[in-house]
Amino acid sequence: MFEGTLVDLVPFEDDYATYLESWMNEEAWFRAHLWDRREPHPEDAVKKYIEKMEKNERAALIGYQTKAGDPIGGLIYDHEWSRVRKVEVTFFTGDSRYEGTDEVLDGLLMLARYCFETRNMHRLDAMSLAFDEARIDALRRAGFVHEGTLRQHIRWDGDYVDVELYGLLEDEWPGYAARIEALGLQASDLEPKPKPEKKLEDEKALDEKILAP
Amino acid sequence: MILLEGLLVDLVPYGRAFQAREHAWYNNESMFWASMGERELLTRARMEQQRREEAEADQPETGVTFGARTKDGTLIGLFGINFLSCYHRVANLGAMINEPAYWGGGYGTDALLLVVDYAFDWLDMRRLWLDTMSSNARVLRQMQKVGFTPEARLRSVALADGQWNDEVVFGLMRDEWPGRDTMIARLGLRAR
Repeated sequence: MFEGTLVDLVPFEDDYATYLESWMNEEAWFRAHLWDRREPHPEDAVKKYIEKMEKNERAALIGYQTKAGDPIGGLIYDHEWSRVRKVEVTFFTGDSRYEGTDEVLDGLLMLARYCFETRNMHRLDAMSLAFDEARIDALRRAGFVHEGTLRQHIRWDGDYVDVELYGLLEDEWPGYAARIEALGLQASDLEPKPKPEKKLEDEKALDEKILAP
Repeated sequence: MILLEGLLVDLVPYGRAFQAREHAWYNNESMFWASMGERELLTRARMEQQRREEAEADQPETGVTFGARTKDGTLIGLFGINFLSCYHRVANLGAMINEPAYWGGGYGTDALLLVVDYAFDWLDMRRLWLDTMSSNARVLRQMQKVGFTPEARLRSVALADGQWNDEVVFGLMRDEWPGRDTMIARLGLRAR
């Protein structure tokens, strides 16, 4: 576990793998992966995605959760480029109750902390659909600088939507502790959600339903 | 076999004759500009391995690669699409003129006009984009000439000869493109 102020970073496994089966089919996922085709992700595709990320040395999928252990979503770095020490970062709010909260911002700050202070990156790249205000707000508050707009770059629900590009450089990163002190994060104190039911029980319930007269 | 016929160059299948030039090309200065500062020192064995890895990768191949050949038959590099998306209707363009003697003579612009027309008229793209590092004055000039709009400047992306360079991203929408014939007239491009 890698401890932050409002959230902790944990390996993406166990309950996270179960949650991802629904998260990967929800709006927040597709907003975070704006270039990918919007398509259904059955359980096998979700499993394959997790395995692919585990094997990829230039990328990682990380879980983030409240101090009470309630999973919020995922933090991702991808396409790490060692020669120029650059990496693309994104995040998704699996539990939509946390959308726009300081928990998500702390998740992003922890990801930046990990990339700069542990992985020795020089630059972080981030992007957002132009209408994704919660993401843009989090990026700005974390210190990312707006660097341009790809015009009508993404087909989204009947329209062509602009993509906003952001960057954060190592010499602009004051360190996690300094950034946290300046921001004064507030916990949202949401009730932890019930643990996901075990798959086996789901299937048993389904069997009983089908067999019931 | 000519797929796209230009005034100074033709775009042809990127076949074995081009691949045979790659060892010389990838180890010369052209790669430095195309890769935003990389100095390749590639052995033939390493290149073979990279080719095998690319062939085995499970990523769906969405690129289109043309070889660029002058009218007198000299192979000078490659032009095409690095990757595209049919649902976003966006294509990322890539190009390398690997023979420095052919830099600045209009060969690249001639090939670029062919590729832009091809992407819009055959592949039905509605947006094209590409990037280069901020010290690449030749490409920056060419983008302005051909009508691409600078859309973003990503700071400190490219390390080239010890200096951090920005990456400049350009975009061109289909409704901004007057067509190849108009561009040829506007630029005064002529066969030699």
